[in-house]
Amino acid sequence: MFIVITWLFCGLGLYRSAISQNRPLIAGALTATSSPERIVSLAPNLTEILFALGLDDKIVGVPLHSNYPPAAANKPKTGTFWQPNIEAVIAAKPDLVITLGFEQQKNIAERLKRIGYKTLTVNIEKVTDFFEAVGIIGQAAGKVSQANQLTSNLRNKLDNIRSLFTGVDRPKVLYVVQRQPLRVAGTDTFVNEMIELAGGKNAIGRTIHKYPPIGAELVYTCGADVIIEPTMDKDNSLQQRQEAIKYWARFQTVPAVRDERIYIIDGDLVCRLGPRLDEAVETIAKCLRPKLFEN
Amino acid sequence: MKNLLTPKNLFLKISLALAMLVAVMFVCSLIGTESISLKAVFDRTSSQAQINPDYEIFVHVRLPRIILACLVGAALACSGVVFQALLRNPLADPYILGISSGAGLGVIIAVISGLNWTLWGRSPIAVFAFAGALGTVWLVWFIGRLTGRSSVTGLLLAGVVVNAFFSALIMFLTSIAKSQQVHSTIFWLMGNMTEENFSVLWLGAGCILTGALALFYIAPQLNVLSFGAEDAGSMGINIGKVQLAAFAIAALITAVAVSLSGLIGFVGLIVPHAVRLIFGPDHRQLIPLSGIFGAIFLIVADTLARVVVAPAQLPVGVVTAIVGGPFFLILLVKYSRKIGWAGK
Amino acid sequence: MNIIEISNLSFGYSRADVLRGLSFEVEAGCFLAIAGPNGAGKSTLLNLLAGLLKPKSGSITIDKAPIESYSTKAFAGKVAVVRGEFVPIFEFSVSQTVLMARTIHFGPTGFETRADRQIADEALLSTDTAQFASRPLAQLSAGERQRVFIARALAQSTDILLLDEPTSFLDLKHQVGIYDLLKTAQRQKGKTIIVVTHDINLAAQYCDKALLLGADGNYQYGDTTDIFSTHKIEKLFAVKGFHGQVGREKFFLPLGKFAKDNLSNHNQTR
Repeated sequence: MFIVITWLFCGLGLYRSAISQNRPLIAGALTATSSPERIVSLAPNLTEILFALGLDDKIVGVPLHSNYPPAAANKPKTGTFWQPNIEAVIAAKPDLVITLGFEQQKNIAERLKRIGYKTLTVNIEKVTDFFEAVGIIGQAAGKVSQANQLTSNLRNKLDNIRSLFTGVDRPKVLYVVQRQPLRVAGTDTFVNEMIELAGGKNAIGRTIHKYPPIGAELVYTCGADVIIEPTMDKDNSLQQRQEAIKYWARFQTVPAVRDERIYIIDGDLVCRLGPRLDEAVETIAKCLRPKLFEN
Repeated sequence: MKNLLTPKNLFLKISLALAMLVAVMFVCSLIGTESISLKAVFDRTSSQAQINPDYEIFVHVRLPRIILACLVGAALACSGVVFQALLRNPLADPYILGISSGAGLGVIIAVISGLNWTLWGRSPIAVFAFAGALGTVWLVWFIGRLTGRSSVTGLLLAGVVVNAFFSALIMFLTSIAKSQQVHSTIFWLMGNMTEENFSVLWLGAGCILTGALALFYIAPQLNVLSFGAEDAGSMGINIGKVQLAAFAIAALITAVAVSLSGLIGFVGLIVPHAVRLIFGPDHRQLIPLSGIFGAIFLIVADTLARVVVAPAQLPVGVVTAIVGGPFFLILLVKYSRKIGWAGK
Repeated sequence: MNIIEISNLSFGYSRADVLRGLSFEVEAGCFLAIAGPNGAGKSTLLNLLAGLLKPKSGSITIDKAPIESYSTKAFAGKVAVVRGEFVPIFEFSVSQTVLMARTIHFGPTGFETRADRQIADEALLSTDTAQFASRPLAQLSAGERQRVFIARALAQSTDILLLDEPTSFLDLKHQVGIYDLLKTAQRQKGKTIIVVTHDINLAAQYCDKALLLGADGNYQYGDTTDIFSTHKIEKLFAVKGFHGQVGREKFFLPLGKFAKDNLSNHNQTR
């Protein structure tokens, strides 16, 4: 029947196009030496890095709820963080698309690469990854010196913070990302690294999951000195703190609850591993040693 | 005798349906989160250095996706017809005999073990899903056979048991897996239409087309079988062979569909039903028409999934479930009195 | 010419044999009734004749060839089976149902030939169901449906027709109608018809030969006039009743303990 013939015909067409595969790279004017003019970022921290490297005018696409820096809110949107919209990306006519390394974004990067777009995938899971990523992006975008400067600035600021508490005891921190069910940040996360940079240590030990759900037993035995909860709604933090204190009230034996050292911090800032790393670490450090920062 | 199917009649119906399919494909390729104009797509006069986003979107994003929806929809619908005939139950769908949990198990094993077996450029997840689906359905078949050669109930119960057991396994493996892997597994399983290589699509089309043609070839026997197994035997139909062939083909094309796009529910249930309600239970027209209307249904569902909550995308399984769920309930109420749950 | 030969047939579902050493021959064009009490093995025998069960010992030959030697398709060309009517789950119409019998003769495209349609048409006409041709089976009465099932068996164009209690749930008019139909098929087309039935009176009126199966494995085979004689029936069915003669054939009315005309109650006043 004719459907079979159509199918065979398509097959032939594919075969012919496969052997004459000389599609020019859609990157257009991008050659090996020139830098990209139209960059799309698919994650908020990547956006922040791009802005920090001085590439603001070259950015033509950011994910939907980008809010930092404020200028990012005006850029064209290319879908959400979890589900980037490939059509919007293509419509932005990018010559470089930067994505993170987790499954959905890696997937999009593969699809774009298959179509012929230049993509750059960076894994930003730990602090060292982050510094490396800054370097890679700087190189790809032709902003090597700015990248180096950004990196060294950040390292200096982190050193400064560290100098404030050398030789002092490290308070135990329980970093709670979700209350129902109770989930905390484990030792294999960048949050943990931030806690350590801020002079604390994680109240729980190693776990299989990065953000494990934990039972009430562990809360009692972990002996946390400080409980930190990030929130996306920073306008309401006072009220949220009251609610948190009420929630944790039943764990009276835990030092953090006893001493009312429960803190609500800006989730937007801390849950992103980006150029505001120093601010994030400082926020945590303030929770750990409030007196030290009171001056 | 009026109202009987003739070759000419069937040819006409199929042609009309195909025309509808092409029209739908065309219209839906122009719908999406970005508005593109057909003129711009074909405007190749601009130099190669300039990117033509309209062309890119049309040819590399929309078209492959629509073709994929077409293939998967057709495969699921055809296979749904077959399973409903084999099980003599209009509420059967392609996943009823363990394909869904088998695919799910395959996927989570692929993700956890990190084994990197690829086949023909398909990702390990797709390969494991295919293997899992096919392996499980044959397991159900063999268990079902133990309860009697043409016993439908045995097959159904085996399917229920295997589904339950594998689902438990999946939950167990999910709870010990890393959260990122889990997330991507679930996302994949919910049914997703992404653009594939044209070569992959071509291969898939070949498989599914061959399967559909083979099913059409045994359609008259399926008619007799779906009437009643005992009578089929005395009318000269080799029940065992026909059941095996139909089962094998349907299982294969379903496994191909699942490996291409995850688990998309309700297509294999609703489309055969609707086509049967309108055109009657003769499998010689039920199979080709269900295939075509399954393709149309999924293309439209996918288009809705793409634009309804733009810029995010709904998994296409959500759209098919929202449309399919209420329809299924209505059918259940209508048919529950007619079906004796012990098959003949 | 004997179209069916049964020799020393034995069969049982478990240890006990239902049929033991059964032997008889059926002439071509004969109308045979198989009767007996429940559990005697009537349906079992029918299933053996239909090739659905394998005998434990003994043989069945159809047209001088043993049943096992026939392929499914060839056998369907020799023997057609009619069981109780039912409404299938899918809405097949009468004509679609009858045409199913011709499936093995379909052309390579999977469609019926003109000859197939003619045969089906004839079958519908002879069973007086042509007027329902495009109606779904669910819309017919039980009697009409049973006739459609018989039409389907007729469309199979076989020499032998096996029927398992075709009139069990039918009213009197339809019972007679079915038997008339079968007798016509026997007379006009020379078909060999074997009916399993509970209704021995109707069988006596229409059938040529009868096979009485007893619950203990013994059997009797012969002309209906011989077989349906008083003492044989009473003994086999373990029931007493009234015997009468209509014309050529007799009839038997079973009378239980509390039946009005129970002979042994005649002397008692109520």
